[in-house]
Amino acid sequence: MKYAQWSFCFVAFVTPLAAADWSALRIVPQNISLAKTGELQHFIVLARDAGGQEEDVTTRCAISSSAPETVSLDRTQRTLIGKQRGQAQITAELQGLRGTTSVVVGDRASEVEVRFSPDVISVLTIKGCNSSGCHGSPAGQNGFKLSLFGYDTAADREMIVNASGGRRVDLGNPEQSLLLRKPTFAIPHGGGRLIATESEEYKTLLKWLQQGARLDSGGARLQKLEIYPNEQVLLGKGAKLSAVVIGRLSDGSTRDMTREVRYSSSDETVAGVSSDGTITAGESGLTTILARGLGGVAASQIGVILTRAGADFPKSTANNFVDELVYEKLRKLNVRPAALCSDREFIRRVFFDTIGLPPTPEEVERFVAEPRPDKRAQLIDALLQRPEYASFWTVRFEDWFRNNQLNSQGRSMGKFKEWLSEWLAEDKPYDEMVREMITSEGDTFQQPAANFWHPATDFMLKKFDVKKATPTVSRLFLGVRLECAECHNHPLENFTQDDFYGMSAFFARMRVKHGTAEYRRTWYLDEEGEVEHPVLKKPVQPKFLGGETPQIASGEDRRISLAKWVTSPKNAYFARATVNRFWHEYFQTGIVEPFDDFRSTNPARNKELLDKLAAYFVDSGFHLKPLHRLILNSRTYQLSSRPAGAGNAADRNNEKLERLLFARYEIRKVPAEAQLDAISQVTGVAHPFRNYPAGTRAMDVFAADAPDDFLVTFGFPRRDIICERAKSPTLGQALHMINGDTVLKKVQAPDNVLTRWMSQEWSDDRIVNTIYESAYSRPPLDGERTAVRNFMQSETAAGRSRRRALEGVLWTVLNSKEFQVNH
Amino acid sequence: MLRRDFIRIGGLAFAGLNLPKLLADETERTERSCIVIFQNGGCSQLDTFDPKPDAPADIRGSFGSVPTSVPGVHFSGLLPRSAKLLHKFAVIRSMHSDEAIHERARQYIFSGTKPRNDLLQPSYGAVVAKEHGSRNGLPPFVVIPDKDLSAEAGFLGPSYDPFIAGNPNAKTFSVKDLTLPSGISYEECVARKDLLARLDQGFRAAEQSPLLESMDEFYQKAYSLIASPAARTAFDIGAEPDKLRDAYGRTGVGQGCLLARRLIESGIRLATVFHGGYDTHTDHEKNIRPLHTDFDQAFPALLEDLEQRGMLANTLVLVIGDFGRTTKINFSGGRDHWPRAFSVALAGAGIKGGAVVGSTDKQAGEPVDRAVKVEDLAATVYKVLGIDSQKEYRANGRPVRIVKDGVPVQELLG
Repeated sequence: MKYAQWSFCFVAFVTPLAAADWSALRIVPQNISLAKTGELQHFIVLARDAGGQEEDVTTRCAISSSAPETVSLDRTQRTLIGKQRGQAQITAELQGLRGTTSVVVGDRASEVEVRFSPDVISVLTIKGCNSSGCHGSPAGQNGFKLSLFGYDTAADREMIVNASGGRRVDLGNPEQSLLLRKPTFAIPHGGGRLIATESEEYKTLLKWLQQGARLDSGGARLQKLEIYPNEQVLLGKGAKLSAVVIGRLSDGSTRDMTREVRYSSSDETVAGVSSDGTITAGESGLTTILARGLGGVAASQIGVILTRAGADFPKSTANNFVDELVYEKLRKLNVRPAALCSDREFIRRVFFDTIGLPPTPEEVERFVAEPRPDKRAQLIDALLQRPEYASFWTVRFEDWFRNNQLNSQGRSMGKFKEWLSEWLAEDKPYDEMVREMITSEGDTFQQPAANFWHPATDFMLKKFDVKKATPTVSRLFLGVRLECAECHNHPLENFTQDDFYGMSAFFARMRVKHGTAEYRRTWYLDEEGEVEHPVLKKPVQPKFLGGETPQIASGEDRRISLAKWVTSPKNAYFARATVNRFWHEYFQTGIVEPFDDFRSTNPARNKELLDKLAAYFVDSGFHLKPLHRLILNSRTYQLSSRPAGAGNAADRNNEKLERLLFARYEIRKVPAEAQLDAISQVTGVAHPFRNYPAGTRAMDVFAADAPDDFLVTFGFPRRDIICERAKSPTLGQALHMINGDTVLKKVQAPDNVLTRWMSQEWSDDRIVNTIYESAYSRPPLDGERTAVRNFMQSETAAGRSRRRALEGVLWTVLNSKEFQVNH
Repeated sequence: MLRRDFIRIGGLAFAGLNLPKLLADETERTERSCIVIFQNGGCSQLDTFDPKPDAPADIRGSFGSVPTSVPGVHFSGLLPRSAKLLHKFAVIRSMHSDEAIHERARQYIFSGTKPRNDLLQPSYGAVVAKEHGSRNGLPPFVVIPDKDLSAEAGFLGPSYDPFIAGNPNAKTFSVKDLTLPSGISYEECVARKDLLARLDQGFRAAEQSPLLESMDEFYQKAYSLIASPAARTAFDIGAEPDKLRDAYGRTGVGQGCLLARRLIESGIRLATVFHGGYDTHTDHEKNIRPLHTDFDQAFPALLEDLEQRGMLANTLVLVIGDFGRTTKINFSGGRDHWPRAFSVALAGAGIKGGAVVGSTDKQAGEPVDRAVKVEDLAATVYKVLGIDSQKEYRANGRPVRIVKDGVPVQELLG
């Protein structure tokens, strides 16, 4: 145990600093290149203090250029300008600290030609013309339709110059073009007045028209948009930071796009952003600043803290690297971790989370009495070996892989469940499971893995549908939602329709046969068949998502190369998407959230943690149990659900951040199956399921044909679409717990625990104690004991039997919140 | 008043409309209720509102046609009573869709949005529940007798899922989980509730979570429903006079419609009554005859009852199904799924009585005039109920409109 004796000591260094004690200075961005003279580039200077906190000091430091005749500076505008071809070194100085960057000025022709892309498209983007609420919507506005944020340059120019009989431009008399008269409101425009005739934007559009409104022969396209800094913590409400945005173009040049993109903040209360890229801190929290333009998008994660972590920031022991990385982030954002949970809390929590059952009173007492210091680790190992581990996690996998009645027509649902369960029980590598599913074919009765394809069936046409298969595979195994890209380029990611259909092409030859009598399906591969691109109307070659085009021999199953690529240890998505999915189960929020929505505009809240977990998963040979073990053994998982400093509101700087950064255990509802099994276990009365032997647990049942009333009421999912289980409570659930059959029948059952205990002449106290131990894994507190006693007395005084009064106690405990949640 | 409404009204007022009258209309609309009668499985347009007496026998079937109270308009011979009341309701004969799978078609017609792989659109009842909230402490959205995947809250979340009423035509009808189980007195229930409050106290004091607050809220709502005389009265169909119960028909759809009226009267906003097996791939005529007989008693009784109570002007009654059925009777004597042309009926809440929108070809297989999309129907329903169908919700992090691109059917609106 490398970490067992290792303590955090970073806290000792952090004392409140005067704002002037800087330890480092840097210029952002680094290694600037300007395409030609006259081009400018925004920059900022950041100073860092000993605690690691940075501040924008651009206007407060001294800045110089080593060759002012080549590169000159305008500090108040935060820009540098290329004056002639050559190089220069820019140096910022503050209190004896220096930060530098190099600048190269290129020699491209200085004749300024306005290009349609990026110049004109930039104007359309920053003015919102091609946004989804305006002409960028799928239907456009009043017949004028632009591609969303300008991804389809050729179509946009066609629309502007030639569509509707060319009425939008007047090349003989450019000022009279609708393209200028509408946004300047010279004539009525539904979008209002967006551009002033004296503005730079107007000049750009006009110049483009004067130069012949060409698509641009140079054809430079944006390849990548970058925003700097891409991760930053701001200290104090009102703190400001200027973002710098750079576009990397296909001709190898870069372009300062700081003033040519559209900015937005995912949470305006945390930080707002103005149209020139100035970010202003608000309340403490995390937000993502997006910059969009030319069809590209870049994201920066901005944290806001009101005070920095002080000397009293708690020291904690790390159990493994998870804690090290979680705590580092917590300290940066000054969010205090909760205390370690108690042994009783831990055993109940870890039982529900790994095997979907509460511990019995005997299991609790044995664990609490155990003196070994590593007893938690031991318990975790023991739980992961229990058969219920496989049962419980199988249900999670069934949710994810949509093992349902509708898709499989019920028949082979059990085959798939069994197959998953065996795989989990043996802890066979997950990458193999995925490869087996992606490359599966045959009769779903004979080849259980082939049940994976059911959701890709087109029910109406009774055939395999690549458009259903593609987003399913990408979402489940890569954590990428490709649905948007089926119809249009993804507005929040650099994925395009070409990416969607490139992935689809791997499944182009999959076919399905339906059996006559019992709907059984057989998947097979045809020898030919291609996917057609909906716009280009040409067959699409298989292409890995955001990657290369593999060479596949003509007779070969394309899915094999896809499966290999998906599960490769080198695949940036697969391991991350998988560990994030499991992390989400344990913490109710992913490190990337939504947990299956990885994209550059949805950054991980703790990138280092995600990367290291993924590397760990790869190094463990894609076995799941080591991953479970790592997370469960972390102190982070074992933190109390009660926030640090609970009871003293002033101590708690941000409740939401605690959840987002894993500073405490998140209280959650016990899943439907586990709650029903827990009710059965506590009352000692097994739940009857149609067509199943007595004593079968809810998590082992798959008869979605006639789903159990309780399970349906408590959120057992239909699994016909990709979405998470509903986790919020409902009125129906409360009514069912209070008045429904499930609880009542078991509480009143003649063969339940009450009958047994009463026949053994247990006292009321002993019975109540045991109910508490089985439901909450703890004995009652004094106040609770008294309340129960009073209840027993008044019930018997009201003429009800002792048995009936005890039924009332049992009923009440099952209806309590503490029983229905895991905490 | 919402800001959006204010802007819209402001715009219209500017255009010269009478503002006070408009405000009154808006308020009225949001207080309107709705009863949906859903013909489970999909009903034949030929055997209901769009008969084709001149078509060959294997298309027109054997039910003949009857004149309606609107001159020149005929209904199937299976619906003589409804035919006499056509001046009180409207029919769209040219509904047009391309969803021919039950589940998808239902989700479509209940939401006005094409079903997607990754998102379940909320149905009418859920949207009404979200936009207008509950009245008199009663659940805003109820289904009779049982829940169906089409009548759900979808991405709005289970808080907006319907309350399930059960089958009011059953002898032992009592609403599931609403009434105390037999043998438990109200007094005992209260004693247990008090103990529950005491035992929850400690845990609630120590743990803070929105989840616990929301559980608390639902337990409180549940208890107030259990204790509420209004709720018990609303669901107590036995309190209706026998004569009226007989008038609706002692059938699932008859008592369902009666219960729906009772619920609306008590304050529930939208009740959906499921009726059918209309999915008659074999022996179509034999199987649907009793269903239509039941419907043809319940539907007219409902309209007349609502009118007599002065409720029709404020209650939208909507008759829809999965889709239509194939024009030609197949070799098993059945009619199969057919979404390309089908009929729906609407009444009350300002819908023009006697209006017949659109028409179909000689076989009732394709609209020939004024094809109405499912989106348009939904836009009409929401307009009548005072909900902006273009409002955007957020789901999966993207904006999703309640109805995408639907246009209200003006011919129906008074």
